[in-house]
Amino acid sequence: MAYAVLQKGRFDDFIVALAAQRKVMAPVSKGYGHFEFEEVRSATEIALRYIPTILPPKKYFMPQRETILQYTSDSIEAVVDFDPMAIFGVHTCDLAGIQCLNMVFSERPKDYNYLVRKNNIIIIGLECGDYCDQYASCAMMNSEMPNGGYDLFVTEFDEYLLFHVSTQTGEDIVKSTGLFETADASHKSRLAEYRKKKKSIFKKELPIDSKDIALLFDKCFESKVWDELNDRCLACGNCNNVCPTCYCFDVIDEPALDLTSGVRYRRWDSCQLETFARVAGGANFRENRGARQRHRYYRKFSYPVKKFFRYFCTGCGRCSRACMANIRLKDVLMDLIKAHPLDNA
Amino acid sequence: MARPKVAFFDFSCCEGCQLQIANFGEPLLDILKLIEVVEFREVMSEKYAGTLDVAIIEGSINTTHAIERIKGIRDRSKVLIAMGSCATIGGVNGIKNAFPLNDIAEYVYGGDSEYFESIQTMSVHQVVKVDYFVHGCPIYPPEFVAVLKAVLMAVPYDVPDYPVCVECKLNGNVCMYDRGVTCLGPVTRAGCNAWCIGNGNICYGCRGMVSNPNEKGSIDVIRRYGLSMEHIINKLEMYNKCRELNPHG
Ligand code: SF4
Ligand code: SF4
Ligand code: SF4
Ligand code: SF4
Ligand code: SF4
Repeated sequence: MAYAVLQKGRFDDFIVALAAQRKVMAPVSKGYGHFEFEEVRSATEIALRYIPTILPPKKYFMPQRETILQYTSDSIEAVVDFDPMAIFGVHTCDLAGIQCLNMVFSERPKDYNYLVRKNNIIIIGLECGDYCDQYASCAMMNSEMPNGGYDLFVTEFDEYLLFHVSTQTGEDIVKSTGLFETADASHKSRLAEYRKKKKSIFKKELPIDSKDIALLFDKCFESKVWDELNDRCLACGNCNNVCPTCYCFDVIDEPALDLTSGVRYRRWDSCQLETFARVAGGANFRENRGARQRHRYYRKFSYPVKKFFRYFCTGCGRCSRACMANIRLKDVLMDLIKAHPLDNA
Repeated sequence: MARPKVAFFDFSCCEGCQLQIANFGEPLLDILKLIEVVEFREVMSEKYAGTLDVAIIEGSINTTHAIERIKGIRDRSKVLIAMGSCATIGGVNGIKNAFPLNDIAEYVYGGDSEYFESIQTMSVHQVVKVDYFVHGCPIYPPEFVAVLKAVLMAVPYDVPDYPVCVECKLNGNVCMYDRGVTCLGPVTRAGCNAWCIGNGNICYGCRGMVSNPNEKGSIDVIRRYGLSMEHIINKLEMYNKCRELNPHG
């Protein structure tokens, strides 16, 4: 386990040096207590303390709108656009989100657009020593601690940033910038202390064991909880669009003004939208908003467990923050827990 | 191939949508390579009485004369496009329908009101068949171009039937509800790329509602912001009053 120390006074030099090598994306304040990953050139632009950004860093792996093909009247060509970059400041919940997407897009047939982009992104994680806010459920979802999926991982202390170096790429960055000191035993013991304190802060947020959530979902498909959501949900799709693990997209052809050439692009889609399960002839397989909410929850806590052996919720809380109808993931889960007690509970 | 003959007609409206097109700038030149504009009062004096490939209608219908006129245009047009909220959903002109017609006529024309006939405001599709819709107050230029391309290729144009929130979120905006103000984005159909929110304003619902809005849920949400029921209804009806009349034409 290699660690490196960056004195805070050198943080700006680090970002400037990194930005000289490639684009650097980092959380930036957007006002009203919200943040978004954007390109930065210096450390002053970066919010080191931030609640999960409006959109997750997913947008760099799988852009909101992405051209996948271009055509003329006599040619068709696949397009893979990518921009080498480093994303600085990815919280552990979002690292978990990227791990979920990696599994999805590595399945056959592989998604080359995603994988090429992923191979050109350097990830620098950032630890949370305390909860971002009351919507988080990262402890319950086991994503509050670093668990791989990064090149470098930063833990902030008063005077310095401690970097865990996890990959060769990470090591190259540390070496090439020439700004780091090697960590000694005192740094490591401070990290151990920090993690100990952190364990006392982060406790599973709801009275259910992580492994039992899937069992709960085996029993609550017909729950009244979904009916109540039908009345409240506005089907705006925000909860999908901000989620780090939602990966559905729609594919659209767009002709140019000459009407013979054009592009095919894909754009994020959301299962909460009226149109998502509407098919030719006008039938809609999930016309009821409650059924669509149920689908979303099953896509987090049940179906992926069967397919990928992990939950597709990182506990980041974005869906709760983005819902103007005040539908909060923790509340919904709590309602389900109460309405459908597990035998062993 | 001869360029299709296209004419613009205005009914009750502010002509702001025609102005949007006149203001297109350079893309307009590319568009004019594809179509032949034979009538467009905003920018030219010529009139055209023959058969049209495409009629583009701005404005809502609110006199019997307008009904006759729009039927005549429909009869001689192969394709008819409704352009702008007044034409596509009745728009702000629909507010009139919230009051007794006589009161409204008197308010506007005073003692002369008996000389002016007044009927309820209707969108174009509530009177004649509309083939394509370009929603918005004013229209969003990129969408107009997308619709025009669909017309020229003789393929349908699907107006998004999901809310403005989708485009708003994809643009990474801070939600208006997090800025302490209400926004009609969740019940309003997308297609404008969340134009107003991107420019720091709320959504007023100018593109009309999605096909299955959760009106009760929306009212609950807006009510939390301390607005009176009357204010909420006014907000929802500013552009959408004509919905009550035969919404599907
Ligand atoms: S964010 Fe809320 S209102 Fe919007 S679709 Fe999701 S649950 Fe429904
Ligand atoms: S479901 Fe909600 S809390 Fe879970 S990962 Fe998605 S946005 Fe985050
Ligand atoms: S959900 Fe947990 S890991 Fe994610 S930002 Fe909040 S505290 Fe950090
Ligand atoms: S600002 Fe308006 S359109 Fe955007 S997400 Fe919020 S409610 Fe929806
Ligand atoms: S954001 Fe709302 S009010 Fe503004 S153009 Fe779009 S639909 Fe109309």
